[in-house]
Amino acid sequence: MISMPLSWNKMHKLMLAGILPLLSWSSASFASEQVVIASTGGAYDRALKAAWFDPFTKATGIKVVTVVATNAEMRAKVAAMVKTGNVTWDLYLDGEIQAASTAHKAVTEDLTGFCKQFAGRRDLGANACAAGGALLQSTATLLAYRTGDGEPTPQTWADMWDSKTFPGERAFPNFDDPWRVMAAALLADGVSREELFPLDVERALEKLDELRPSVSVWWKTGDQSVQGFRNGDYSVGQIWLTRAKAMQNEGLPIGWSYKASFLVGDRIALVKGAQNRDNALKLMAFWLNSPEAQAQACEVLSCTPPSTEAIALMSEDVRKTMPHADEVRDYMVVPDAEWINANAAQLLQRWNEWLR
Amino acid sequence: MSGLSEVSPAVSARQPRSTVASARFYSRSVSIGLATPLIAALLIGFVYPVTRLVALSFEGGSLDNYRRLVAEPLYLDVLASTVKVAFIVTIASLFLGFPVAYLMARLRHGVAMVVAACVFIPLWTSVLVRSYAWVVLLQRNGIVNALLADVGITDGPLKLIYTQGAVIVAMTHVLMPFMILPIYSTLRTLPPDYVRAARNLGAGAFRAFISITLPLSLPGVFAGSVLCFVLALGFYITPALVGGPGSMLMATLIGQQTTVLLDWPFAAALSTVLLAVTLIFVFLFRKTLSLSKGLHSVH
Repeated sequence: MISMPLSWNKMHKLMLAGILPLLSWSSASFASEQVVIASTGGAYDRALKAAWFDPFTKATGIKVVTVVATNAEMRAKVAAMVKTGNVTWDLYLDGEIQAASTAHKAVTEDLTGFCKQFAGRRDLGANACAAGGALLQSTATLLAYRTGDGEPTPQTWADMWDSKTFPGERAFPNFDDPWRVMAAALLADGVSREELFPLDVERALEKLDELRPSVSVWWKTGDQSVQGFRNGDYSVGQIWLTRAKAMQNEGLPIGWSYKASFLVGDRIALVKGAQNRDNALKLMAFWLNSPEAQAQACEVLSCTPPSTEAIALMSEDVRKTMPHADEVRDYMVVPDAEWINANAAQLLQRWNEWLR
Repeated sequence: MSGLSEVSPAVSARQPRSTVASARFYSRSVSIGLATPLIAALLIGFVYPVTRLVALSFEGGSLDNYRRLVAEPLYLDVLASTVKVAFIVTIASLFLGFPVAYLMARLRHGVAMVVAACVFIPLWTSVLVRSYAWVVLLQRNGIVNALLADVGITDGPLKLIYTQGAVIVAMTHVLMPFMILPIYSTLRTLPPDYVRAARNLGAGAFRAFISITLPLSLPGVFAGSVLCFVLALGFYITPALVGGPGSMLMATLIGQQTTVLLDWPFAAALSTVLLAVTLIFVFLFRKTLSLSKGLHSVH
């Protein structure tokens, strides 16, 4: 109103400024080959980019576009995309257990056909490629503790409940996925690994009642679980192996026990109706076919790669802290994904009731 | 600010000063034309999704989701504690925020700007950052615990973080600007002559505040309270960061159903109940407001 009307020249420039980004955007989505993958970002993303995405782009010329979201956001977003038919992601990462759920099957493509090509591979386990997704890496949720001078260290879940021998406060996760806390309680109560599932929820909660006064933190994020150890909020906790390892790398006196551990992992899932489906399949195959990429990423993230050849490529230091085959065989608990998924709603509701 | 002052002389030069006339400055069709984008945005961006959400909660024409919500004590218990927390936070914001708003309205311009900056800068900071700041302050080896121990009030560190108290303190901090600003805007338009007149007629400072300033600031108080209360009912991030297992709020449960269990119809039912409760409270607030206004005009 007050200012002079825009000159034609200025107007022209403004319009160009508005249109140019649109042009480059559309050329990116039509002209060059790409694949869109959602992951949790941060250090995780950087490690995957360096070890997996960049070498893939170099080898194939296909650009890898990453989108950052939390696992929970990814699940909700993918469900919304498939429901509305507006699919903009091709791949996303999800937990091993969630990848076996019916909700997951409803929004992702069954990879049974794709997996056939890996059937004869000696270095890959039977679960490296499954209907719900290709295995990205495995890790553990386990018992971690602060080490003292020559003091005995807790080794089993029963030790975590033994406040006399191992004084100090405790920490458990509370990120809406309560099976691992209940399972730990049952193992502490003397239930054998073979009889653990289906979980006896009431017995687990009764056992947890015993320890509850000593629990100082119910952590919601991995960062919170680390902060609590740093601050001395607790001395024994159920946390992720990757975080425990990170603290040890920082120089904190932290130890852990595979005798009290659950095997968990991440899978790469293909969204139903993905626009760059072929490229997505190539990216997944590249991961499983490249022990070098797996070794490089897991070296940084201290995870267990799907290929045994990759493990052989990793440094002695990292391999030392990885679970040994006999430890996995004798102690590690592999969760019953089918039972957990079938009872997820009830588990969470009972957990909420108990917790508050 | 500067843009506005540039424009307004031009507008007032063309138009008589009466506000009624300036409202009629634009013809009916132009007014409708100007309002259309907003109405369209509201219809598409708000009314449609909310309707879809409510419809989703009655999926298959059944009331199953609502039956489950009522049958399990968890959901109504959490709803009650959500309302309780929102209420406490609103009251706390009011008692802490009113003096600040009063100060801002009465101070000299330069000093008032400093106070305003203290209110605005937190408002512009991400809720996430502000909530994490409370984690730093309240944690076991945090500043608050160190101070209490150094002064000799406590022997060992207190459990401050991950409690209901921490949630209330942090939410009050986050929501305070929403209380201060409406009160400030009503107080600023309040001519100081009224209070001066009351003092002339023999009222003490306290009496003048109670009979003049407070009743006239009520529209701002209610606007601020409604804003705080409604926002507090839907809080998600802050309770998740500084709260413990005991401080479960409605938004947490809705989040679980949406992202963890992917049970959207049930999440929609929970949201609908929360929306209904919010609307009921807003309605009650309005009723109280018009009542108190009426009473004061009688005096």
